[in-house]
Amino acid sequence: MPNQNSPTRYSAVAQGFHWIIAALIVTQFTLGWTAQFLPLGARKVARLDWHKSFGMTILTLAVLRLLWRLFNRPPELPAGMTPIEKTLARATHVLFYVLLFVMPLTGWMMSSAKNYSVSWFHQFTWPNLIGPNEQAFNLLRTVHDTLSWLLFALALLHILAALKHHFWNKDDVLKRMLPFTKTEKRS
Amino acid sequence: MKKLALAVTSSLAIAAATAAAAGSGTSFTAAAEQSRLEFVGVQEGAEFKGVFHKFTAGVEFAPDALASSRIDVQIDMSSVDSKDKDRDATIRDKDVFDVSHNPTAHYVTKTITKTATGFAAVGALTLRGVTKDVPIEFQFAPADGGAKLSGSAKLNRLDFGVGQGEWKSTETIGNAVKINFSLVLKPKS
Repeated sequence: MPNQNSPTRYSAVAQGFHWIIAALIVTQFTLGWTAQFLPLGARKVARLDWHKSFGMTILTLAVLRLLWRLFNRPPELPAGMTPIEKTLARATHVLFYVLLFVMPLTGWMMSSAKNYSVSWFHQFTWPNLIGPNEQAFNLLRTVHDTLSWLLFALALLHILAALKHHFWNKDDVLKRMLPFTKTEKRS
Repeated sequence: MKKLALAVTSSLAIAAATAAAAGSGTSFTAAAEQSRLEFVGVQEGAEFKGVFHKFTAGVEFAPDALASSRIDVQIDMSSVDSKDKDRDATIRDKDVFDVSHNPTAHYVTKTITKTATGFAAVGALTLRGVTKDVPIEFQFAPADGGAKLSGSAKLNRLDFGVGQGEWKSTETIGNAVKINFSLVLKPKS
């Protein structure tokens, strides 16, 4: 049963969600942060168009990932972790899930508020969530920008924690999310 | 000589009477606050709508006298509103509408014909200094004291040079633009 969570590893589906979304988020930071420095023009519009299409892709994947996660438990955290470490680790992951929804949703609302409907790679157009509203746009932009920094900090913490588990604690926390590796069966 | 003068005078009188008859109930102006002139463009694959807040329309229309009917619209291009100040500023700028050199657009019909569902017209549109024929389709419905004229058109923005430089790309901004209009007509006073 390759699609079931084994006790020690994330399944192929979970790994797929994790790494595809991770790659998309890196792309989003690159597009979103560089677009800010472009003057208002066709290049900026085009870059933000990619940003929106990828953002809607992430939102769709986030819905599927959350549904999948509700019915599939992840492997247990290492037994050696203290209760407070486990709580912090879980809180980090919950916050990640929240941001996976809040980032695209605030972005989608920004586009709606500015009367720039969101296209998905020029294939179809998503409906507007709210009507044109300049004040709402300014507020949403502040929220979207601020949360992007929170997401950046969270990702940094996540990566450092994974490396710490791997090199310092020498447990399998990193390896169980890596494809093409093996983890020891815990007794 | 006297006969000729009489003939000219009487034919002038008949012409004047005909004009007066045609004028009663067929000459209208659009009531600005109830009328709407909308355009639908495509930006990065997604439609966006905008309106022109300021325009004037003079309409001579009688369904049984299409040859002498005419629709004449003047649009104040700086009154464009796409519900985003940044985009409106770009649209008014020299690469798109260039409103400082071309403050108004003008549409005047040349021929009007009856269709199965309403009327069709071909008219000359002058936009950004370029004049080209643009067909429209419309409905005309008499209402108490006036009439309602509503319809639509399609045009290619690049035919009129709307979008220069970086805005020429139809990947970013689609070439086809839809126009929807709804004019509430009041008798010309």
